[in-house]
Amino acid sequence: MPTIKISHLYKTYAGSDGEGTDALEDISLEIRDGEFVCVVGPSGCGKSTLLEIVAGLLKHDSGSVTLDGVPVNGTSRDIGVVFQSPSLYPWRTVARNIALGMEFSRVPKAEQEKRLKKYIELMNLKGFENKYPGQLSGGMRQRAGIARALVMDPKVILMDEPFSAVDHLTRCTLQDELVRIRQEEKKTVLFITHDLNEAVYLADRVILLSPRPGRIQEEYTVSTPSPRSRGDEYLNHLAARIMADINRGSREEAPEYSI
Amino acid sequence: MGKKTKKLTWISVLQILTVAALLGYMQFAVKTGRISKIFIAAPTDIVTKGTDLAVSGKLWPHLLLTLQEVLAGYALAAGIGILLGFLWVLFPKLEKYMSVFCSAIMAVPKTAVLPLLILWFGIGFQSKVFLIFLFGVFTILYNTVTGAKQCSEDYVKVARVFEATRLQLVFRVMVPAALPSVFNGLRLAAATALTGVVFAEMQSAKAGLGFLLSEAQNNLDTARVFFIIILITLISVGFVKIIQGIEYIVCHKWRKV
Ligand SMILES: Nc1ncnc2c1ncn2[C@@H]1O[C@H](COP(=O)(O)OP(=O)(O)OP(=O)(O)O)[C@@H](O)[C@H]1O
Ligand SMILES: [Mg+2]
Repeated sequence: MPTIKISHLYKTYAGSDGEGTDALEDISLEIRDGEFVCVVGPSGCGKSTLLEIVAGLLKHDSGSVTLDGVPVNGTSRDIGVVFQSPSLYPWRTVARNIALGMEFSRVPKAEQEKRLKKYIELMNLKGFENKYPGQLSGGMRQRAGIARALVMDPKVILMDEPFSAVDHLTRCTLQDELVRIRQEEKKTVLFITHDLNEAVYLADRVILLSPRPGRIQEEYTVSTPSPRSRGDEYLNHLAARIMADINRGSREEAPEYSI
Repeated sequence: MGKKTKKLTWISVLQILTVAALLGYMQFAVKTGRISKIFIAAPTDIVTKGTDLAVSGKLWPHLLLTLQEVLAGYALAAGIGILLGFLWVLFPKLEKYMSVFCSAIMAVPKTAVLPLLILWFGIGFQSKVFLIFLFGVFTILYNTVTGAKQCSEDYVKVARVFEATRLQLVFRVMVPAALPSVFNGLRLAAATALTGVVFAEMQSAKAGLGFLLSEAQNNLDTARVFFIIILITLISVGFVKIIQGIEYIVCHKWRKV
């Protein structure tokens, strides 16, 4: 059964002056098959670091990360990543950017075209296939970045603030799109965001990280069945509670940071 | 908008008038003997001398030779500069080892090496090719290195997520990301290539446009000197335009070249 299992994970960035930066401290987390987990926390607490370790892009210091019981040790076909900034290749058209992974793993051309068509439609990029990233809006670029990950059909999708650069309206549409995709295609999702309303709207479970070094401060289960409504009182209440916990967390940490 | 165009037109007219006046004065001054034709040439004489050179067939072997030297030297500089640039970025140890030597050679004014090149390669084709190579290779090398290093870490991350092989990483990510900077180097090198070859041919050669130039100078044939200078300038500008054209074809779709 596909599960991400993180136990007692530590990560310190080596600094140039010998003083390392502790980014993650004793993170233990299990994400079940098909689960949607959101990670929230103050800026710089180690969210992207956690995601990159799970993606196999970054080595951790101690602890372990396994996918289906196999230690994560370098990137894997089963894990798709949507980055904080989409980093499309400016010299490739939108379609060729989305097809990047298929091209690298030599998927046959006909199959490539078929899958491209599907995800270009899904991400609402029809008519822009042959444009270059420089000719797109920020939101379109992010959608292309999402399509680039989804088109490989990974079991697990890691998303690092994927909707941060889009306007509110597009953001809502993309959120609903994501909810649909993950229900239809049974994906396991680890989703990082700053936006608590987004977190409670999307997630089965919300993980709150403490200020740096990131530790798991709190866990919230969101049992509201989908489709959820944006005005849902329980969800708003939960978001407010998380907000309060964040404030409490940074107050407790305050003495460490003063002077 | 209309006003701006009109203004520009007036400036162009003024510019054309200035050139015409200058040419007219040259013609007038030489033909009336006010200035000796050893110092400047009447435009009509420049045209006649040029036509003579072309029609008599004397020009072509020299022109061809110079073009061959430039192309060979430039191609060598481009090939080695670009290849070495990528190798340096792929194998930083190689850069560490080589960069001291490259900086040292680069610091030597290239024209000062010509006597050595002549000793080693003779006064023919090879010494010219090598000088042009020296003129261009460092510009191309360092621009390639800058470009390849600029290939942002994020591009590499994306490639790693999709499990790109090392070859794919080099040819589908690093090379295209470096292209704009590589072309920058190629353009700069193209602009200096002619300087090298003409200098070398003037110093020591039995053929080539530089040789023709110093021959005309020795014969006090100033009209011919003017003609050859103009010809060399046109070749140089044309060369840069060709490189820009290639850059446009390769990059214009995604980059505003
Ligand atoms: N390559 C690196 N070298 C050294 N320190 C780093 C590096 N990357 C991140 N850090 C540090 O590690 C900490 C965690 O960074 P990370 O990017 O994971 O935070 P984040 O939670 O994603 O923040 P944000 O919400 O702003 O994206 C930060 O304090 C940051 O300064
Ligand atoms: Mg981050």
